Amino acid sequence: MTYWPVIAVDAWIGLVLVSIIKVTLILVGGSLGMMFLTWYERRAIAYMQDRRGPNRVGPQGLLQPVSEAIKTMTKEDITPLDADRVVHFLAPVVMLGATVLAFAVIPWGNLFPSSLRVGVLFIFAVTGLHTVGMLMAGWGSNNKFALLGGMRGVAQMVSYEIPLLMALLPIILLSGSLSLTDIVTRQGDWYGFGWYVFSPVGLTAFITFFIAALAEGERTPFDIPEADSEIVAGYLTEYGGMKFAVFYLSNYMTNLALCFIMASLFLGGGNGPGVTALGTVLGGLLSLVYFFIKALALFFLMVLIRGTVPRLRVDQLMGFAWKFLLPIVLVNVFSTAIWVAITRWGPQAQIFTDWFGEPASDNYLRYGVAIVVTLIINLLAVYAVMRINRRQPSDLTEEEIALGLAG
Amino acid sequence: MNYVVLTIFFLLSALTLGSGIMVVTVKNIIHAALWLISTFVGVAALYMLMEAEFLAIVQVLVYAGAVSILVLFAIMLTRQITGTGTRQLHSRWWVAMLTAAALFGGVIVPTVWQQGSSWDKTASDAQAILVQQATEANGGTRPEIIPVAGTEELGAALMGEYLLPFEVVSLLLTAALIGAILIAFEERTRRRRVLTLAEELALRKRGIVEPHDEEGAVVPVDAEQAV
Amino acid sequence: MVGTIPIAWVLTLAAGLFCIGLFGALSRRNTVGILMGIELMLNSVNINLVAFWRYLRPMGTAGLTFTVFTIAVAAAEVAVGLAMVIAIYRARQTINADEADTLKG
Repeated sequence: MTYWPVIAVDAWIGLVLVSIIKVTLILVGGSLGMMFLTWYERRAIAYMQDRRGPNRVGPQGLLQPVSEAIKTMTKEDITPLDADRVVHFLAPVVMLGATVLAFAVIPWGNLFPSSLRVGVLFIFAVTGLHTVGMLMAGWGSNNKFALLGGMRGVAQMVSYEIPLLMALLPIILLSGSLSLTDIVTRQGDWYGFGWYVFSPVGLTAFITFFIAALAEGERTPFDIPEADSEIVAGYLTEYGGMKFAVFYLSNYMTNLALCFIMASLFLGGGNGPGVTALGTVLGGLLSLVYFFIKALALFFLMVLIRGTVPRLRVDQLMGFAWKFLLPIVLVNVFSTAIWVAITRWGPQAQIFTDWFGEPASDNYLRYGVAIVVTLIINLLAVYAVMRINRRQPSDLTEEEIALGLAG
Repeated sequence: MNYVVLTIFFLLSALTLGSGIMVVTVKNIIHAALWLISTFVGVAALYMLMEAEFLAIVQVLVYAGAVSILVLFAIMLTRQITGTGTRQLHSRWWVAMLTAAALFGGVIVPTVWQQGSSWDKTASDAQAILVQQATEANGGTRPEIIPVAGTEELGAALMGEYLLPFEVVSLLLTAALIGAILIAFEERTRRRRVLTLAEELALRKRGIVEPHDEEGAVVPVDAEQAV
Repeated sequence: MVGTIPIAWVLTLAAGLFCIGLFGALSRRNTVGILMGIELMLNSVNINLVAFWRYLRPMGTAGLTFTVFTIAVAAAEVAVGLAMVIAIYRARQTINADEADTLKG
């Protein structure tokens, strides 16, 4: 027993201290980032709708979220009389906990890499725990609208988790790793522009992932669980004051985390021109800047969609996930396998070497062939899915014919 | 002795066993399901402690994220049972208690503790070989993290040695999916979309009404009969 | 983990969880409660598999692979089981195991 312990006790203490500092940074940074994001979203949407938005508190209204935070903190904390007190209290805790855990493995540019070997899966495992928090909030409030909202939210999250994870598979196939740091490092070719989004399979994966991420983060047009014109405020109905703020914080931090993940997986994370040339420290800082620009651009896209697209119905939401996204994502996994075979297989498939030459990063013939083949497969898949999903009049049920919907 | 690992292990044991006991004893079935989630998370942390990180994440993803939600949904779909008024335990629950206690104290624990020392010896031998290999691979110095079989080896095993069981399991999952849909199928789902209130009203005016029982639940009757 | 905690402790923990699950499966009237007990038992078996893998064969993959299979089978079992619970509820308006006794002679 001479070889244990591997890590001595003092090293453990150091580890715990570093972890505490990191968690504090994430919590403080997350709250501040969330405040900024709420202001940013309101201002951006206001300009899209020809309004001004909050512009009174502080320069350009930047301090508006601060005043609102003070307001929510000083509000009375109310629990409904017939609510399940413990579950009602624990629901926002579970939500926020799941969100903060997801931040643990996100690499911030090249400066702070994360070391978990299965980081990508970890993020989706812990964000999957949001469903538990929603159901707890919906059931614990003892309110019909809250329960409806919770059930809607869970059904939506569970349905969209499948296309979300399936859209990841091409990236894992391309990079051969489940670690976010590795995935980012492998997109550094071609002067920092070897991003996965620049291939047909990566682009398809990105678009499907983005749509599924909108549903996971409950953004418009998928904000059905909180649809205030239908079910008051969904599972948030019975929450006020600080608990409501915690839900809000968790929601925005999830969206921020999803933007970070999308920037890392598809847009090359901190990779960009000049990062490797500038060395560790300066290049690292530059990579952090690139990373934030990419993530904020993605968030702007989310805001743009909120400003333009109306909310879906529940059945449209489910139909879209199962009949449209899932088949396309499955076909995309198939075409990624073809992409990997054409661009990388040397001795495994001699016939490719005979036709297109040895696999190398400057063998443009192989990449060209791969782009054409996978593009054709994906476009055919999209066309076929759209064709199949078109409603056939003969398939109407008797109720619908009775309603006169057949014509 | 590494007290940090020891403390973590005891805390996790307390979490897992404590919430396990709550799962089987608590009266409100929804609370039981929530305690079940806590047990699953405790088991996942135990996997993490045993360096099976992929399994820990699969545990959270499948059990805590999906299975428990399915259980909660089933509870909420079958109404009138969440109340604490109804008796939750069987009248002869003490027989079950005796069986479980006898199995634990009479069979499993003696066996485990009798075999434990020889297993521990094998374990320390295996660990010594592991450390030696890692040291050689690291060029003579002992690395801080000793590698064990991880995700890559698991993937290779699933695609190589265990390919046939893997295919059988995937077939089983497909069969279970189809079976679950067929068993829980409701006649109402023959409609291609959810009707709006106005459309339901129009249907009622034409005499095409869903058959309800006195409590408002939909009785599965063939649509032809309803028309 | 290895060297600090004897394998017997981990196995005892798993045994405890198994017996708790057994008690739950045998004593609950509610069908969903029975399913929850079965889930606990399956989880304890998984702990055993992982413990034996980590302690005795850390470079092999048999323990890991079988745990993955168990998880998959458990997921399938829960899906079908809960579908049956819902079907029983629809037919008999109860999900208590001792009240669904049509087959009793």
